Amino acid sequence: MNKIKSLQESAALVKDGQRLAIGGLLLQRTPSAFIRELARQGKKNLKVMKTAANYDFDLLCFADCVEEITAGFVSFEAEFGLAPNFRRSVENEKVHFNENSCYTVISSLRAAAFGVPFMPIADLKESYLVSKFETVSNPYGNEQTLTVPAIYPDWAVIHVQKSDEQGNAIIYGPVFEDLIMAQAAKKIILTTEKIVSEQEIQKDIDLAIIPGFKVAAVVEIPQGAKPASCYPFYDYSAEQVKEYLSIKNKTELNNYLQQQT
Amino acid sequence: MSQNSNLEFTPAEYMIASMARILKDAENAFMGVASNLPFFAIWLAKQLYNPELTWLNIPGKINPLPTKPPKSTVDFQLLKSSSASITLANIFDMSARGELDVAFLSGVQIDKFGNFNLSHIPDGDKIKIQFTGGAGSALICATTKRVIFWRTKHDKRAFVDKCAVNTATGNVYKVVSPLCVFSKKDGVLNLESINPDSSFEEVSNNTGFPISNAPFTEGPTEDELKLIRDFDKEGIRDIEF
Repeated sequence: MNKIKSLQESAALVKDGQRLAIGGLLLQRTPSAFIRELARQGKKNLKVMKTAANYDFDLLCFADCVEEITAGFVSFEAEFGLAPNFRRSVENEKVHFNENSCYTVISSLRAAAFGVPFMPIADLKESYLVSKFETVSNPYGNEQTLTVPAIYPDWAVIHVQKSDEQGNAIIYGPVFEDLIMAQAAKKIILTTEKIVSEQEIQKDIDLAIIPGFKVAAVVEIPQGAKPASCYPFYDYSAEQVKEYLSIKNKTELNNYLQQQT
Repeated sequence: MSQNSNLEFTPAEYMIASMARILKDAENAFMGVASNLPFFAIWLAKQLYNPELTWLNIPGKINPLPTKPPKSTVDFQLLKSSSASITLANIFDMSARGELDVAFLSGVQIDKFGNFNLSHIPDGDKIKIQFTGGAGSALICATTKRVIFWRTKHDKRAFVDKCAVNTATGNVYKVVSPLCVFSKKDGVLNLESINPDSSFEEVSNNTGFPISNAPFTEGPTEDELKLIRDFDKEGIRDIEF
């Protein structure tokens, strides 16, 4: 089965209200073009998760696509400041921020990936995050152990450097949480810098960590992570991040979305 | 006054040198997201004080050998020059197992107990001001052996009597600001030393909990300043000041 789809077709697979794990981290290997297409299609009530986000979650907040964010950190870094639309949406109660630690996001995805209902985790001492989670009594000892629930994403959306048309894909550079997301999600949508032959994937088979059998769509989008980076092909674009952050209202946002891939 | 009081240095250089010295006996050190000054501190410590120090970071590339400072947490040159790879998830696991020695964390508020807030300011059940979220800090602060809390602005809005929300609590070891260094003893922050360019009065007026006087910190040495300045010709270290 050929899984190659257009950006429009692949984003149409995502239904309102579904839960998405978004690959990459901060301004690294973000599936940015796919995020913009979700916004163009006017998705509603999505639940999105990731350890540390900025452009992707901020844009989805701006476009009113999100109901709930599960993350440890949502902000740009020093040069660019905070994520303004994320902040506004949470403060105006349009978006529920289910604040986690990056570690608890990973642990919830691990539970889903391992097929177990919850994951015992290390002590978080007096952090207020503890109030969100339940403890269990260690059945092999006496102590109380903190746990997090399994969270099952409907989709993992991951931007890769190379995929074949079956969705067997290679990631170069840091994988971040993408493999755990791929394991935890029901299905995977891949955007890729380049669609390559099966033989080319086989040449680098040890790096082909995304198995095609869970992939529902493969979309070829060169520069698809921009304004984020895609190692080793291109770095993030400070200019393009600033262009995004200069958008003041919905009309400007719509113009921006129409101008971009 | 310190023996180096004739040398001029910036607040960034004061913080970098003060944090690097804490790493003299460290086994490993982890820097999280948005950690410009910890980057310099770990780099300097490896150059000058502790070449065996294992350097861990968000992209999971161990012991990078950068030729110039990066502008973000995940920089291509950090990726290309490292000695091995580890995932971020496995760095958290190291911390959970008690194998992480030092970690650098920051926050919007820190209180006299060394608890800090990166979450929000509440208004009843609602959120009045949303911050960035604590990233990995809730786990790291609870399980890493020694946490260095750093902050580039020292004022009463940041150094508070009690945090509105505790994002992370636990093993804060030192706190480094442009004005001073605190250490945690008997569950509370104590002033350890003061930037020779500042004064007890200035620290006290900008701190929202009571403190006792302390000696001046030894300012950055000639060696420290030369290394930092030769490495960072573009002044990346000053971007948060």
